[in-house]
Amino acid sequence: MLLIIHNIGEHNSLFLIAILLYLIAAVTALILIKHHKLCNIASNIICMAAALVGAAASLIKIFTGTTQTNSFILQSTIPQLSMNIRIDTLSAFFVLCLSVLVFSVSIYSIGYISHYYGKRNVGLFNFLYVSFILSMFLLMIAGNSVFFYIAWEAMSIISYFLVIFESEREENLRAGKLYIIMTHLGTAFLLIGFMMMYSYTQSFDIFGSSAAIPAAAKNLMFVFFLIGFGTKAGVMPLHIWLPQAHPAAPSNVSALMSGIMIKTAIYGMIRFMFCYLQIQDVWWGVVILCVGIVSTVLGVAYALMEHNIKKILAFSSVENIGIILIGLGVSFIAFAQNNEFLGGLALVAALLHTFNHTLFKGGLFLSAGSIQYATHTKELDKLGGLIKKMPITALMVLCFSLAISAVVPFNGFVSEWLVYQSLFLNIGYGGGGLNILSILSIAALGLAGALAAACFVKLFGISFLGLPRSDNAQKAKEVPATMNIGMGMLAGLCLASGLFPGFFIDIADKVVRSLTGLSITANLQGGFLNATAPLVVSGNSIAPLEILIVILALIAGALLIIRLIGGKYIERKYGTWDCGFEALNSRMQYTATGFSKPLRIVFSILYRPGRKVEIEEGISSYFPTSIKYKVWTEPIFEKYFYNPVLNMVSKISLKIINTVQTGSIHAYLIYIFIAVLTLMLYNRLA
Amino acid sequence: MSNYLDALSVLLLISAFVLMGNKRTNAYIKSFKMQSILIAILTGVMGINSLLKDGHVDMLVVCAVVIGIKVIYIPYLLNKTCKNVAYRVEKDFYFNIPILILGCCFIVVFTYFSLSTTTGINSGNINMQVINSVSLILIGLFFMISRKKAIGLIIGFLVIENGIFVTALFATQGMPFIVDMGILMDILVAVIIMGMMAFRIDEKFVSTDGNKIKDLRG
Repeated sequence: MLLIIHNIGEHNSLFLIAILLYLIAAVTALILIKHHKLCNIASNIICMAAALVGAAASLIKIFTGTTQTNSFILQSTIPQLSMNIRIDTLSAFFVLCLSVLVFSVSIYSIGYISHYYGKRNVGLFNFLYVSFILSMFLLMIAGNSVFFYIAWEAMSIISYFLVIFESEREENLRAGKLYIIMTHLGTAFLLIGFMMMYSYTQSFDIFGSSAAIPAAAKNLMFVFFLIGFGTKAGVMPLHIWLPQAHPAAPSNVSALMSGIMIKTAIYGMIRFMFCYLQIQDVWWGVVILCVGIVSTVLGVAYALMEHNIKKILAFSSVENIGIILIGLGVSFIAFAQNNEFLGGLALVAALLHTFNHTLFKGGLFLSAGSIQYATHTKELDKLGGLIKKMPITALMVLCFSLAISAVVPFNGFVSEWLVYQSLFLNIGYGGGGLNILSILSIAALGLAGALAAACFVKLFGISFLGLPRSDNAQKAKEVPATMNIGMGMLAGLCLASGLFPGFFIDIADKVVRSLTGLSITANLQGGFLNATAPLVVSGNSIAPLEILIVILALIAGALLIIRLIGGKYIERKYGTWDCGFEALNSRMQYTATGFSKPLRIVFSILYRPGRKVEIEEGISSYFPTSIKYKVWTEPIFEKYFYNPVLNMVSKISLKIINTVQTGSIHAYLIYIFIAVLTLMLYNRLA
Repeated sequence: MSNYLDALSVLLLISAFVLMGNKRTNAYIKSFKMQSILIAILTGVMGINSLLKDGHVDMLVVCAVVIGIKVIYIPYLLNKTCKNVAYRVEKDFYFNIPILILGCCFIVVFTYFSLSTTTGINSGNINMQVINSVSLILIGLFFMISRKKAIGLIIGFLVIENGIFVTALFATQGMPFIVDMGILMDILVAVIIMGMMAFRIDEKFVSTDGNKIKDLRG
């Protein structure tokens, strides 16, 4: 196979250097496979260097090249198979997200993977880890859909191996199986989309023109891409793999999966629907918006019912993908109606939330990893009181939780605020139906926001506050410094981009400007410190820093007033009242289940909760020997959609296996014979 | 020379019919031997032709190897396998012989029907030689389907291979030497392995009925 490298356009070979560094890291992991510690540290440090180079390259790209695309072509002699690298600002933006996350996760991994030393194949793990990152990197800079598809498949398969890395657990294998089936189902739809792309335009070029594709085919391709990318993103009816696979993977991998892998689907949506197909109808946006709303509300609703930290986080990822899709949907609607300012704003919101979610969800999964590292459990009901044992981790989790709940002054607030803004703006522009949809989505987003806050109060409160609920939690120790540094970087970035959103909005805006030729920041109010609001909605401009100062001032003022009015009061330090028992113990606390009980009742139509109480009676009914209380919620999609379909498929497959695969050589020979005859007949008739 | 080749291709086809009409395993081997002799003659004729025309001896070497492997050594191996496998009188086929012969006729007609419009071989003329040799392949496959015992399956496989070899010869007037030799070596190894397998299967299952492999299925 002959490989020729063409270099077209401006010379920014930093991207190639980053790829090379990742390759070196992968090879290093394999070379040092016998020396666990050395292998882990070396490959992670090279990975960090690669991430730094990648981040620098993408920042340079975003801030210098507005419309030009860097291009490297590795041509092979096989037709249509060329490694065609093209980088525009959109690719650069996602590479930036990837690099930031990879940098901190790699620092974290140096400490985290240490519990594998001598027990598992660390070299293999690091090799898979690096190639997983590399496949995502290549996917984001692919210039033709064949290369994109190869990178996409590589990403899916490598992540499957990472999901089942701790393969001795039955549930991990099951999760992996579900994951690989679902992801291939989605990929099949993508493949059909790419084939259609080629059959109409005779080219796999992603950056080419889609003018030759008829409208009906475009609509069909949109649907295929939505299903294909939606499966990877984990949007609501297709999400079932996500809450299984993310908890099964090692935590640094689930941070990458949730932080950036599901975002590759967002990249794909923007790249293929927005840039390639061009938005054709309003209904495209409406569909995306509706999918987004459903994912947002149901995602967080299911997150509330989980007791496994990583499952909570996984469902919360579904919610946040929903928020991103809401932004994307509004942007599609607006562009379809030639309302470019609003479209740009919504797109900025979606991109910014993508970046923010990468930061805080990556961080949260890392924190879950730290908790697991220290306590060897992911179950909320076995944790408690960790704030005293792991104060630094607790601080980080608090930061991330505030960020994901969109609380000032963290970054989640900024992007969600922009999403709200675009929804509010959309009310004025659309027709009657669209207006109502926008209003409903605002309400839904509000509901989801409140539920998310409740969810993370639960996560933080149950695991870090109160008394330890198990021995493991009792014996927990602070995790190694590298892990905290990795998380600290992400937490710092969360705070920084919350306090100074102008800079980060500007990055997203540069991307949008290069895609649409329209700048949002020029039309926004506010300056350096402000998360901004559009001119048309007056009086809504917001500045997290100012709000923070105001809130602090208000709290200080309130305390002062209480002090002034109430006069002097006597402080008494004393243990909490324990109802006359001897001492408080951990069983007197709220459990995770108990905490979410009110919501389970309020939304019982959604959860369909069931419960079962088993009492083993002792000498009298007042002194039972044991009481077992079991509560469960019903997964709607699994029960009413996936299970029936699965049963049907397995029934049909069994039937076919019994009739077709009889095990007789002669039957198989007859199949061959008939196939040959049919082909010959086809040769004659065609 | 074309006359010789036409005649040989028809004779090859007839040998396949004869094989299909055989009832006993020993007779299979004899028919196969006859078919191989015909192929050896065919390569010999082509070899002499190319020697006179271009001065190449490749085809004659192939002819010698065909005689060595297909006419002498493989039938010898098969006979040995037959002797090793305990002889049992069993009905070896699913349908009776006349129906099988009719099936073969249908195959020839079908091949003629499907290949008669194929261009590119023999400059647009209907090439009877190719049709006969493709029929040979299909009859070989049909033979495999119709026979139960392992020895029948092996012979059917060898007939398919003969057919492919002959088709290649007719379609291209002689393949590259190295390809021919490679194919012959492959077939030799395949027969040795299959012979051993048949022996083992007989030892384990007290029969070489291929259909009994079904019992292995879980």
